[in-house]
Amino acid sequence: MENKEQNILQELETSDYKYGFVTDIETETIGRGLSEDVIRLISEKKGEPEWMLERRLKAYRHWLTMPHPEWAHLDIPEIDFQDVIYYAAPKQKKMLNSMDEVDPELKRTFDKLGIPLEEQMALAGVAVDAVMDSVSVKTTFRDTLAEKGIIFCSISEAIKEHPELIKKYLGSVVPYTDNFYAALNAAVFSDGSFCYIPKGVRCPMELSTYFRINAEGTGQFERTLIVADEGSYVSYLEGCTAPRRDENQLHAAVVEIVVERDADVKYSTVQNRYPGDKEGKGGIYNFVTKRGICREGAHLSWTQVETGSAITWKYPSCILQGDNSSGEFYSVAMTNNYQQADTGTKMIHIGRNTRSRIVSKGISAGLSQNAYRGLVRVAKAADNARNYSQCDSLLIGDRCGAHTFPVIDCHNPSAVLEHEATTSKISEEQLFYCNQRGLTTEDAVGLIVNGYAREVLAKLPMEFAVEAQKLLALSLEGSVG
Amino acid sequence: MLKVENLHATVGDKEILKGINLEVKAGEVHAIMGPNGSGKSTLASVLAGNEKFTVTEGKVEFEGEDLLKLPIEERALKGLFLGFQYPVEIPGVTMANFMKIAVNEQRKYRGLEPLTAAEYLKMMREKSAIVELDSKLTSRAVNEGFSGGEKKKNEIFQMAMLNPKLAILDETDSGLDIDALRIVATGVTRLKTPENATVVITHYQRLLDYIVPDYVHVLYKGRIIYTGDKSLALKLEKEGYDWLINEYEK
Amino acid sequence: MTTERIIEQLGAAPLADDGNITGGVWWLALTDDRDVVVRREARATLVVVDGVGAHDMNVDIMAGAQLRILHVVTEHSASQIAVAVAEGASCRVTEIVVAASDTRIVASLMERGARFELGGAFILTDEDKASVAVDVNHLAEECTSNTSYKGVASGRSHGSFSGLVYVAPGAQRTDSVQSSRNITIGDARIETLPQLEIYADDVKCSHGATVGQMDGDAVLYMRQRGLDLTTAKRLQIEGFVGDVILHSAVEGVEELLSELVAGKLNRL
Repeated sequence: MENKEQNILQELETSDYKYGFVTDIETETIGRGLSEDVIRLISEKKGEPEWMLERRLKAYRHWLTMPHPEWAHLDIPEIDFQDVIYYAAPKQKKMLNSMDEVDPELKRTFDKLGIPLEEQMALAGVAVDAVMDSVSVKTTFRDTLAEKGIIFCSISEAIKEHPELIKKYLGSVVPYTDNFYAALNAAVFSDGSFCYIPKGVRCPMELSTYFRINAEGTGQFERTLIVADEGSYVSYLEGCTAPRRDENQLHAAVVEIVVERDADVKYSTVQNRYPGDKEGKGGIYNFVTKRGICREGAHLSWTQVETGSAITWKYPSCILQGDNSSGEFYSVAMTNNYQQADTGTKMIHIGRNTRSRIVSKGISAGLSQNAYRGLVRVAKAADNARNYSQCDSLLIGDRCGAHTFPVIDCHNPSAVLEHEATTSKISEEQLFYCNQRGLTTEDAVGLIVNGYAREVLAKLPMEFAVEAQKLLALSLEGSVG
Repeated sequence: MLKVENLHATVGDKEILKGINLEVKAGEVHAIMGPNGSGKSTLASVLAGNEKFTVTEGKVEFEGEDLLKLPIEERALKGLFLGFQYPVEIPGVTMANFMKIAVNEQRKYRGLEPLTAAEYLKMMREKSAIVELDSKLTSRAVNEGFSGGEKKKNEIFQMAMLNPKLAILDETDSGLDIDALRIVATGVTRLKTPENATVVITHYQRLLDYIVPDYVHVLYKGRIIYTGDKSLALKLEKEGYDWLINEYEK
Repeated sequence: MTTERIIEQLGAAPLADDGNITGGVWWLALTDDRDVVVRREARATLVVVDGVGAHDMNVDIMAGAQLRILHVVTEHSASQIAVAVAEGASCRVTEIVVAASDTRIVASLMERGARFELGGAFILTDEDKASVAVDVNHLAEECTSNTSYKGVASGRSHGSFSGLVYVAPGAQRTDSVQSSRNITIGDARIETLPQLEIYADDVKCSHGATVGQMDGDAVLYMRQRGLDLTTAKRLQIEGFVGDVILHSAVEGVEELLSELVAGKLNRL
């Protein structure tokens, strides 16, 4: 038994990263490093208006004054920000008139990732904006969405075509002054998705962005902005991968969500970027700021399954500004080998009768470190605020770490806030029981881990849930403590 | 003793009581029956003064005084006792301490000296015997970890301690096995005097085998739609409420 | 002063300067930094009363010894009590904080089978600002810890609890429970940070934190039995912190502790 477990553990640690291929496509990049000239160049390449460039420069100048954050439970090697390529674009014709004009090599890439950009999408019923390195490649289903008045396009297009919306909302939830990586992103963001759901419209299909880092030495700095106008609804999916490379690549995204009165937004992420190899070499540094603001009666739900990246630093948050608004955060974060994750959420209760719910499931294996960090704050005027948080950790093997750092800060006596956390391992009894019923230890662990994460997986849209389940099993095959 | 006239009450914007009329005199026992959701518990809560409900119309006189303008505790001190359907658990507050304060508040209100420790202990012993309440329970926190039966016995024990003029017992029989039911019901009967009155809210006739009512009222959709004597309870047990409701809906 | 009466009631003697304990009941006014050693297999009780100002105390509990500590904070003080618990030894602490202060207890379970238990309560009124911290370091196998802290903040006070359970690599079969339960009244503010940092897999660790208000149903129930609003609220708060006193590490002074708490509750 002991030996077998050892073998399985080893196997787990060497389990391959399926999306680690590189697409051989001609890429246009600019040189390494960051300066005002580089920012001007990015802005120029994207044909941006002057006001946008001004915004970028302002953010850049602020970024220069900020120290690198050190508070997370992470061991972050020093990053040389002058050694990153801040812009890379697959070379192709300027304007696409139909699907056929997309570079076939590019199409093959997204096919390999299971992201069909064509007619299959019609069957799947999902609208996709695919972003490779720094630019948005193609947005499907635009016409269908346009009929309902829904805008779904790359953020670069939106800057040109819907400047009034961009000026009003971009940076309104995550200002460039917010943190180090938000400032960096505001200065150099290259592309990303923009989505606007008009008043009272229920988006008829799930909207999806697929991010992929391909080119070597590049950072990806995408920017997502979702605006759900009064009474509207949208479910948004975000998937991410990157090829396997020996060097560490930087990813610093910002997602902003504005949920207007009585609107409802569901944001789901499956993040499976290259985590590095079993010696901890390579992998993506994933420093992401995600935040939404809820007006009166609005609802925002974050669901994330995090299995990738060498370092993850990410706290999708809800500002419950309006009365009767509510926020949810459901998370499964799995770390293996030398991966480090410091993730969680902030629920800021400002309006009256605001509700929030946090369910976080951490799974640590190998030599990884996995931390939940959360903040529940109830402002003085937030009468009758309610929060329930549950943060569980599962440890697989005795060389990993699981940590829980919740902060509850209550300024209003009518609040009711509850936090619970437990730490456990897969018990010998559970494994024995499964083995006795004929399951291999591998299957048993996969089963138990999926059962452990079920509450969160159940929150994912169907097609994502299946993928997430497979991912968990794949990353964890048969690991036993 | 109690005179309810055209009582209307709402919770949120939903009207639950839609004009209740009821008169209870000293020495009487009234039973209030009716299907689920007819407003029985609401009536009890409104009379006790639960602030969750808003009285929108009507008046209630208790011992010649306007009951509705009094806060909860003053109603209690005047001798109105509510036996809760779901007695609340109060962690860390012992039964003995809780009742001592309640009894002495009552005495203060009546212009009496507080009880000495010895007097109080003697009273506790006597009264807990009435409902066969395990004396150990009085040293535990109020209702905490009590079984369903113990909670209900505890309500009647408190009733005995406080000696109210009017006791409203909200489904005191629910969730009791046959022995506990007998103990609770005989306890109530033993506390009966010509000076006090009892209103029992119940679903079942079986309680009324012990506590024999002078009047049986049927509450439906926030109104008393029928009043009879104890034989009505037996008929309802056999035939249900449909015949009454059909007649009323016509 | 309640603390003087506690010392008298227990018949505690002032602890000698060398800080050596082989048994018995002692008291210590923390007006200087102090080192205390509890000898092997000793059974001892120590009452610690914080003096004004910032002072540290280091307590070494040797193998097999059992130390009970009653820590009463009635003055504006900033104290840190560090306890190192050796093999099979145990430390039980009751801490009552009724004044604006800054208190930290650091318990290190150094060797196999060490045990630490803490029951604490802070009650803050008016403009009090207090922070209490309890750090428990599990550094060896098969150690257990249990921390339970209750907080009540009323008026414009600000109370903060920070708890950390650290489980070192190799500290297998750790069993640790931590709970922080709080009630806020009026314009008060409560912060609570229960934290777990775990580097071993065969462990049972849990923590829970709640911040809430008084139970409206319970207040209603008590009023129905004739208690006025103030009495009902006070009684509920007394009940809430009561178990800290009821399960006090040091027996025989429950009544005095209740008195101390009741005196503070009068200011709610």
